[in-house]
Formats: sequence, C-alpha cells, structure tokens
Amino acid sequence: MSDLTIAQRILGAEVAVQSAPYFPRKKKAITGRSIAIIVFLSICALFFCIPLYVVVVTSFKTMDQIREGAIFSFPTTWTLEAWDHAWNTACSGIKCNGLKVGFWNSVQILFPSLIVSIALSMITGYALALWNVRWAGAFLFILFICAFVPFQIIMFPLISMTATLKVYGSLWGVALIHAILAMPVLTLIFRNYYKDIPQEIMSAAIMDSGSFWKIFVEIILPMSGNILIVILILQITSIWNDYLIGVTFGGSGTQPMTVNLANLITISTGTTRYNDNMAAALQTAIPPLVIYFFVGKLFVQGITAGAIKG
Amino acid sequence: MAFRWSRWSPQLALVPAVAVTAVAFVGAIIWTVYLSLTRSRRLPEYEIDWSQWTRQYERLFKDDSWTLSLQNLIVLGLGSALAIVFGFILAAMIDREKRGESLFRTVFLYPLAVSLIVTGTAWRWLFNPQYGVEHALHSIGLTWVNASWLATPETAMYGVIMASVWQSSGFYMALMLAGLKSINSEIWSAARLDGVSLWRLYTEIIIPMMKFTFVTCAILLSLGVIKAYDVIVAMTNGGPGQSTYVPAYFTIQALSGKGNLGYASAAAVMMLVITAVIFLPLVLVTAWQQNRSARTAT
Repeated sequence: MSDLTIAQRILGAEVAVQSAPYFPRKKKAITGRSIAIIVFLSICALFFCIPLYVVVVTSFKTMDQIREGAIFSFPTTWTLEAWDHAWNTACSGIKCNGLKVGFWNSVQILFPSLIVSIALSMITGYALALWNVRWAGAFLFILFICAFVPFQIIMFPLISMTATLKVYGSLWGVALIHAILAMPVLTLIFRNYYKDIPQEIMSAAIMDSGSFWKIFVEIILPMSGNILIVILILQITSIWNDYLIGVTFGGSGTQPMTVNLANLITISTGTTRYNDNMAAALQTAIPPLVIYFFVGKLFVQGITAGAIKG
Repeated sequence: MAFRWSRWSPQLALVPAVAVTAVAFVGAIIWTVYLSLTRSRRLPEYEIDWSQWTRQYERLFKDDSWTLSLQNLIVLGLGSALAIVFGFILAAMIDREKRGESLFRTVFLYPLAVSLIVTGTAWRWLFNPQYGVEHALHSIGLTWVNASWLATPETAMYGVIMASVWQSSGFYMALMLAGLKSINSEIWSAARLDGVSLWRLYTEIIIPMMKFTFVTCAILLSLGVIKAYDVIVAMTNGGPGQSTYVPAYFTIQALSGKGNLGYASAAAVMMLVITAVIFLPLVLVTAWQQNRSARTAT
C-alpha cells in the first residue's frame, strides 16, 4: 500500500465531514490581484506538469537523442520504439517479457480483491450501522486502529498464513491480502454512510418481516450507488498503484505492473535505456490517470453527495 | 421466527470481518511482537530466552543504520510538511480567485492518482546526473547549479522530499479547500467592512479557525511519512550507501535482504510504537471535534 493510500481513503471521509454546500459567488471584475493570483497558480501548475511532460517526451525519443542531454526538448523523430520495448521485451528480474505480463497480472489481482473487499466491508458496515449489535462500538474502534497499523508489523505473519493456505506467491494471494488490508477503512466509510439512514425506515422494513439479507438487497443496495462509485474508484487506483503488497506476496511471474516497473528502473547491469523506463512508467500510470481525468468529477460528486447526507 | 432469525443474522454476517480482524490484524501483531523477543533468524523460533529478551531491541538501538533511518524519518517529515504549507497557499489562492478552480484542482491533484513508483521513476530521471535537469541547466550557462541530488548522500534525502512534496501537495490542497469552504462567508464580508488587511485576516482569523484541518493534515502526513517505502525504492533504493534509509525500508531490508526475522520484527514493533505516538492525538482530536460539532448542533 502506498504511503498516502490510507490518507487518500480518509480523504473521502474527511471531505465528507468538512465540505459545506458550495455557493458560487458573484462574478467579479478582473483586478490586478486576481491576475497576480492566476499567474502564480499557473506557474505552480507548470511546476506540477514538468515531470509528466519530461516523462512523455522522453518516452518518444531515441536513445541517441537522449544522450545529447536536452531533457526538455521535443523528440526530433517521434518513435514508438520505446513503448514497444517496454510493453513487450522489458526485463523484470531474469525474464524479459515486458510490462504486459505485469499489466495482466494487475488486472487479475484487481477484480477478485475489489469484489471481496467491497462485499465484505459493505455487509460489515451495514450490520454495524443499522442493526443492534451490542459490541459494535468496540469493534469499530478496533477497526479504526487497524486502519493505521503499518504493514510491516503484520507482514511476516501474513506471509506465513498465505504460505499455509498455499496462495503465497500467486495472484490470489496478492488479491486476498489487498482485500484484507482494505477491509477496516472501507468498513468505516460504509458504516459512516449507512448510519444516517433513518431508523424509521429500518423499523418499517423489519415490521414488514424483512430479514437482514432481504433489507440489504431490496433497500440498502439500491441506496448505495454514490458510495459504491467513490469506493470503487479509490480501490481501483490504490490496488493498481500498490507496490509493497505486490512485491511481498507476488512470486516470480505473478507480480503486478508496479513491481515490473520498479525492477526495470533499478536494474544495474548494462546501459540504462531511459526511454524504455519512461514508456514503462507511463504505461503503468495510464490506467489510474484515465480514471482520474474522466471520472474525477463523478468522484467529487460522490463525495459531496455523501457529505450532504452526513 | 423470521424476527428471531433477523436478530442473529447481523451477528453471523459480522463473523468474517471479526475473523479477519482477529487473525490478520490483532493476531498478526501479537505474533510479530512475540517474534521480536526471540532469536529468530531466517526461520521463526518460538523460544524466548528470558534472561535477554530485549536483545533484538538493544541491537537495534546500537545499529547505526537504524539511527540514520530515524533521523531520515524526521528530515522527511519536516521536509514533507512543506506540502501542507504549499497546499494551504494553493487552496487559499484558488478559494479567493474562483476562476479556473476546477482546472487548477485537476492539475494539482493528478500526481496523487499515479503510483509512487511512477513518481519515483519520473523524479529519478529529472535528477539524473548525466542527462537530467542539471545537464540542461549547465548547457544554458547555469554551471553553478547542482541538481543531481540523488547522487550524493548529503542531498539524496532532499530529492526524496522534493518528489513527495510534489506528489502530496494536491492532497493537502483538497483538504484545505474543503476547510476554507466550510468557513462562514460572512467572515469575508465582515473583514472587508472592517478594513482588515489580507495578511491579518489569514494569520489571525482564518488559520486559527482551521486549526482542526491543520492538525488532521499534520497527522495524516506523519502517518504517511512512516509508511514511506515505495518512493525510496523507486528513487534511491536506500542509497547512496544507506543515506536514504527510513524505518519502513530498514524493516523490509532486515527481513528480505538480511533474512533476520527477529531483528525485523523488533524494527516493525518500533514502527508501530511511532505510529501509536502519532495516532493518539488523532483519536483525541477526533473526539474533540465530534464533541464540538455535537455542541454546535444543539
């Protein structure tokens, strides 16, 4: 899990707590001060874009041009050679089958861990928020603590357990660990979302002889669209971007894309092909970036919808 | 009967989550703490020599690279705190000048969407001593610039800080922006009527009002810094030498690099202790915040 993953997930909860409905102010006339602010913000934005720009142009350059050393310059001849190399023949350890191996591994890790973690934490959150469980408070507190535990302290026991279950070093093992580690935070988010469902709805549903599962499927699930989208996006990006779990629990040939990328760039033998490295970095970054640029709005909408309820 | 069944279903539905928590979290933590008291090397040993049960910890505190890891942790924490300051400045400016809000927000937040391995790769390339930014600056005549930070032990940590500030500023900006928007808009007009200067408005009114947001940011930052691992792997792999070791890296190095389980467990327990020290205020602050919002609600 990357170091900001937890924080990133808390962001969901945090913004939900803090953001108030947003009233646009009247359009103001352009003053000297607003120009100064916009100029400053644009310079900052430029600083934020530099690494992306450099990575993109480098990935299209030939090694000959890179050796000339002008890092900011445009490629003189645009070539897809590096992209092809990185995808098909880049080395990760002793195998040289490119990042496509890691890409498909990441995809295969993504789906089972999404399904397991969301199903598990959704039902747990629902039970804790809306049903009378006497020890719910204590359990929530423990979950809250678990959400912040550093991975290193549970690393070896989890390795041993997955080894006993014969999933250590397989894609299923990586997916399982993702699901387990995400459970506390996701449960807290779901529980916070469900706790605002009025008690009257629940009483009425129970009177209507609705059972635990029936109420979940017929009432709760249809109400969960917003929160599901938010959590789906958070989970997809954090599982995709994870390195530590992938490198610890994935065996040779079953490692996610980020691990392939790290192996490629830290390789110490031979001449480093920087354009391959940059193309590989971009290939790893594209899926979460696509999600971010296309559904980023939806993501914010989901959060604010949760906020208005809370 | 259905009613009785519905009384037990919730408890049954909670069984998997409770089992996961008990085994994978609570049980695993106890397991690691226990291992840290043993002499385990590559394979676990479950015998504790009670006459010297603290031996792993004693070794740890005598280990120079652990001391260095702790120092780097503090350096990284202080350096990354710039991200909060920077995030606040960006948020304040975006909040004052509504034009282009969504564009700027998108730009400042995108680094958060990509993996830290990718971030590290990009910055490693920018800091490349042969072909990187340094070379570009030297070729336009700025030969006094030294930008190959990752190559020397004294500056390598600053390179890591640079990358993490770049990566996380947008996140703090988003938190600060949410905090700023929750401030009552009457304060702005009241301040304008009173002719309060902008500087005083921010330092004496807005920032004190947002102290909870700042504390939350600081705690999230500290928790993030302790976990810093990916970015180190991608940028420096701990080097040059051991100059960019941090506790998270040290622990994993002790386990998978040196194969010393007992020692790694002791380091992991110390990481847990550091987390707890930071975490305790978070619990208190959350309780205080809930208390306050409960009071303002009534």
